[in-house]
Amino acid sequence: MLTPAQFAKLFPFHFVLDREMRIVSIGPVLARLCPRAVVGAPFSLTFALHRIGLENARAFDRDLIREQQATLFIFKTTDSRLLMRCQVMLLEDPERYVFLGSPWVRRPNELAALKLTLADFALHDSTVDLLQHVQTAYVSVRDAKELAARLELQRDDLQGMIEFANAPIVGVDLTGRIEEWNRAAESRLGVTKPEALGSNFLARFVDRGSRASAAQLLAEGSSGRACGDLECNLKTADDKLVLMLLSGSPRHGPDGQVVGTLMVGQNITSLGEYRAELEKQVSDRTAELEKANDQLSSALRAKDDFLSAMSHELRTPLNAILGLSESMVDGVYGHLNEKQTRSLNTIAESGHHLLSLINDLLDLAKVGAGKMELDLMQVSVAAACESSVRLVTEQANKKGITIGVALDPIVTTVVTDSRRLTQVLVNLLSNAVKFTHDRGRIELEVHGDTDERTVAIGVSDTGIGISADDLARLFVPFTQIDSKLSRLYPGTGLGLTLVRRLTDVLGGDLAVASEVGVGSRFTVVLPWDPPTHSGAADTEQAGAKFDAHGGAMGEESGPLILVVDDDLPSQTTVRDYLCANGFRVETANNGAEGVRVARLRHPQVILMDLQMPVMDGFAAMRELRGTPSFEATAIIALTSKAMPEDRAACLAAGATAYLSKPVALRDLVSTIRSALPNNPQP
Amino acid sequence: MYGMVNKAVENLVTIKFGADKWRAVKKKAGVTIEAFISNDAYDDSITYSLVGAASEVLGLTPSEILFAFGEFWVLHTARLDYGDLLSSAGRDLPEFLDYLPSFHIRVALIFPHLKPPRFEVSDRGPDRLTMHYFSHRPGLSDFVKGLFSGLGKMYETPLTVTQTKSKDQGAEHDEFLLQWGAVAAA
Repeated sequence: MLTPAQFAKLFPFHFVLDREMRIVSIGPVLARLCPRAVVGAPFSLTFALHRIGLENARAFDRDLIREQQATLFIFKTTDSRLLMRCQVMLLEDPERYVFLGSPWVRRPNELAALKLTLADFALHDSTVDLLQHVQTAYVSVRDAKELAARLELQRDDLQGMIEFANAPIVGVDLTGRIEEWNRAAESRLGVTKPEALGSNFLARFVDRGSRASAAQLLAEGSSGRACGDLECNLKTADDKLVLMLLSGSPRHGPDGQVVGTLMVGQNITSLGEYRAELEKQVSDRTAELEKANDQLSSALRAKDDFLSAMSHELRTPLNAILGLSESMVDGVYGHLNEKQTRSLNTIAESGHHLLSLINDLLDLAKVGAGKMELDLMQVSVAAACESSVRLVTEQANKKGITIGVALDPIVTTVVTDSRRLTQVLVNLLSNAVKFTHDRGRIELEVHGDTDERTVAIGVSDTGIGISADDLARLFVPFTQIDSKLSRLYPGTGLGLTLVRRLTDVLGGDLAVASEVGVGSRFTVVLPWDPPTHSGAADTEQAGAKFDAHGGAMGEESGPLILVVDDDLPSQTTVRDYLCANGFRVETANNGAEGVRVARLRHPQVILMDLQMPVMDGFAAMRELRGTPSFEATAIIALTSKAMPEDRAACLAAGATAYLSKPVALRDLVSTIRSALPNNPQP
Repeated sequence: MYGMVNKAVENLVTIKFGADKWRAVKKKAGVTIEAFISNDAYDDSITYSLVGAASEVLGLTPSEILFAFGEFWVLHTARLDYGDLLSSAGRDLPEFLDYLPSFHIRVALIFPHLKPPRFEVSDRGPDRLTMHYFSHRPGLSDFVKGLFSGLGKMYETPLTVTQTKSKDQGAEHDEFLLQWGAVAAA
């Protein structure tokens, strides 16, 4: 059994009435709230039954309590400050009515108004839990309002940004119907927002040619993906086209679902116009360049033609000078005394100098025009050095100069153009001989660098040397360092320039080191594949080639040679030399005559000049080749034309071989011999 | 942790040091949440990161931050969120302290998943009591001290708080001796 104090602690708001409705007992907290509700006082002095929705209700008495004991009772204090909700329990002996309950409090702030604290409630009373719950809910609602307000602000900011953005912004729903249309869209496309809203974006604003890409952009946005930078032509209200760079992103509804696409556009019409203008300028400029290129090509062709013509014009008389002086020295025109021979040798030397000048000029022209064609092959370095040295040996011997050669055993071959390499080395050696004092020394050294994969071929001399200031002018065409030198050391002034350019063409480098009074060293560095195995086979092959070219020529007579040339001095020179070497010779003055004589005489070899009146050499060769009996006859084209394309043209017309005038007569004989059927010796 | 705790950190930093500092604290803590919801659950690491970052940005020790935060919680956050309920929890400081364990038990009923701390009172005397603090979260004893200090200020009652046991130093739970009135004033 509970003591009264325990009961009071458990039920601080209880009261007990007797059958006269007087207070028998009252809880301590309720007594504190209602000072007039003391033991023995009538209940009605402080409380009244609170009737909710009841009209003509009965008086609060013991009969009502007994009948309604299963009902919740609500009492109100007479000053209306407090509502009590109670459950009644009947005690029979003595007759008592026990009311258990607590004040009706809906909000925490009501506690203070009633001068209640949480501690006034029994711990089991759920009123406090209710109040805490209500407070928690209040906080949640407050948070939600706060967030909503924040979102509202952000939404307003965003809406403002969209509305006043300097770029057109258009929002469409999943069907492409316009739902957003900002001011920039209005001004760029000339359609007001009310006019635009609700219309189909693709159908109304996108040009037919851009619809596929715009539709793709909308599809991407509707699928929840962003899509950027598509160029679309949009139509304005007055049917003009505006080129826009569009990007799109998904639009979301309140439930997070994608409800359409938001597009941002950038007007790039002026960019497109600028691009078109730029393309036109590029096109115009390209046309101008093509025209200039054509003019340049014409000029180059004219220059080549000029060089070719000059070559022809210079070589033709040279042919006669060299050929006749050679023939005379060889006694073709009878015995000569020593003075005559010396004079003729001077003529021949001058002619050869002139020829080398022409050759150097032509080579420089070829390199400059990019027409230097290389015949790349495995070239024996030893053979190239040997033949180069051999070509300057006579010149060196005259000055008592010794030429030493030091080869590197690991360097066997290089892939290069044999003729051009020899040309470079001969030029360097000749230069060294020219500027080296009598009884001086020249060294030709070869060194392979397997790490750098290069071959260095150095030509050093004990010559006059070059000052540092003069080195810069060393490779300028037609320049000798000191004009006095040109008198002491005659030369074309083209040799070193040609060496440098040829070295470039061969993919190499040329270096110079020199000291005045001590000597100079020129080093040509060429790309090289170091051998992974013995290169003896290559070396032997190259050596063999050299030996074959260097073979001696015998002089026999017999075979019939037809010389077709309109230039009588040349024709006479060749004829006389061939006759002196045991050949029988027929001559003709132009192509037509040559064809006629050939059909009549059936020569074994025909020497055919190309530029002739009546019928040129090309037409004559084609006519002869058209005759079955001349299909196999050797025809050697012999011309002053010296450009690379001439050789191909000659071969195409039917020539067996091609020689450039002025040809050394011994070489001519050698070529004739090799062209003769079964190589019969005259 | 309650969102209201993180929100309280935000309010403390914003009100005492300015909105720029709060942005700096959030950035340093790597927290990108725009706004905390008071009654939502957040990972404890967010609160610890915010406190750590606040310590660095404001140049205060974590202990000072937590204490200030505890006081701020009572005097500002709880007043704002639970003002009437808070003031109804006791007519004076002792009554409030007596009721504190029941209050948190009711909170645990309302938010069982938030694992709120538990308080127990023992050795109740006329001007003192021992408050036992049980929490699975480490390192918050300075925060609790700040709470008590704030309560003393709220009830305008001199209060001394002495930590007598520390979980951080191996005790089973934290324990505080609270003394008020003349004892504390002395």
